[in-house]
Amino acid sequence: MISDETIATILRSIYVSGTATLLATTWGIPTSYILTLKRRVGIVEAVIESLVGVPTVLLGLLLYLLLSSSGPLAPLGIRLLYTPQAIVLGEAILITPLMISTTYRVLKNTVVTYSELALSLGASKTQVMTLIIKESLPGVVASIIMSFSRALGELGIAMMVGGNISGYTRVMTTAIALGVARGDFEEAIVLGLVLLTIMVVISITLKLLNKVYSIG
Amino acid sequence: MVSIKLRGVWYRYVGGNDWVLKNISLTIEPKEVVVITGHNGSGKTTLLKITSLIYRPVKGEVLVDSNDFWSLEEDEKLMIRRKVVYVHEKPILLKDTVLGNVAYGLRIRGIGNDELLRRCKEVLEELGIWGLKDFNAYKLSVGQTQLVAIARALVLNPEVLLLDEPYAHLDMKKKEVLTRVLSRRCREGMTLVIATHQRIDNTELSVSKTVTLENGELVNTYT
Repeated sequence: MISDETIATILRSIYVSGTATLLATTWGIPTSYILTLKRRVGIVEAVIESLVGVPTVLLGLLLYLLLSSSGPLAPLGIRLLYTPQAIVLGEAILITPLMISTTYRVLKNTVVTYSELALSLGASKTQVMTLIIKESLPGVVASIIMSFSRALGELGIAMMVGGNISGYTRVMTTAIALGVARGDFEEAIVLGLVLLTIMVVISITLKLLNKVYSIG
Repeated sequence: MVSIKLRGVWYRYVGGNDWVLKNISLTIEPKEVVVITGHNGSGKTTLLKITSLIYRPVKGEVLVDSNDFWSLEEDEKLMIRRKVVYVHEKPILLKDTVLGNVAYGLRIRGIGNDELLRRCKEVLEELGIWGLKDFNAYKLSVGQTQLVAIARALVLNPEVLLLDEPYAHLDMKKKEVLTRVLSRRCREGMTLVIATHQRIDNTELSVSKTVTLENGELVNTYT
């Protein structure tokens, strides 16, 4: 039987990573679109791609220093350390490069190709934009899902800025780490299986989207 | 009827140092059949994209019916663009059926379903590909893709049709069908501009002008 606490941990994980993904989407997708309109983005592209692999513990450490009660944001009354919001913020920052990088790759091809096509067939500016959104949507959604998957599976940030507080900031990955440390393998295995299931579902969804994307 | 005049047009791609087109002046009068020839990389595609009002020249003017196209208001540009249709050398089809693709240009012009279907059927039958109407556009052969893209342009009854290497992937039979269809449209008053390095059958399509490009320069114009 899965305990209520385990279910709460699963739901909290999905909520925290989902919110982080939404947050990253608000700045990640527009940034990708702006990048596709810029001409010389080689350096920006390289920086973003290198940030995709940033170690989560490093980001966790930086956020810890930033959000702690003696950190630079404390005088402004921002004390988010050991709150779900801190994990949301950390995960949103973590997945932003991945989201920008994957979305940019989708949009880079779509914007040029389809805007020329739409213009050549007499589309207005709005119709050009509509076509670009329609044609790039599956790829953009795939990028968002991939980012969610990355947020859900990360440990370093959730542990360092969330604090793994039972019933408050404990998420699946931190619960698994704690279960292993305590020798409570049963809960760790259940959560591990749930995490794996979610990842498999995400992977299948991505494949289906890819099929839709390439076939139409 | 639309006439397009290029006056001293220069073009280079963003980030590129070399001029792809150098000081091109060319007039395309209504009902003309103009063939643009030249080796690969001579600038044919770029010239077509400028003539079809997709690319804006870096220097020089594009006059449409004596008006500088790039100085016009957006709604005026749109009105003109709807009369001038361009088909890419490597056509891009939408993630839709063949019918959905051919209907796209009509839909964005607000044409109703009945007329839309009638016109699509007419042009697809004309090109002998009505049987493909429900096919997924992404599963077509290169030649079929090219014909669908040309159908998507022809269904709009353009005043000026610009085709980039339209015969490149077609077999002999399809080439003949396409030439016959284009010839009929030209007799009805359509202006046709074709960029190709293949020989054009002058008996079917009465070519008014052949323009030769070399390294971005217009080297010859035969009338």
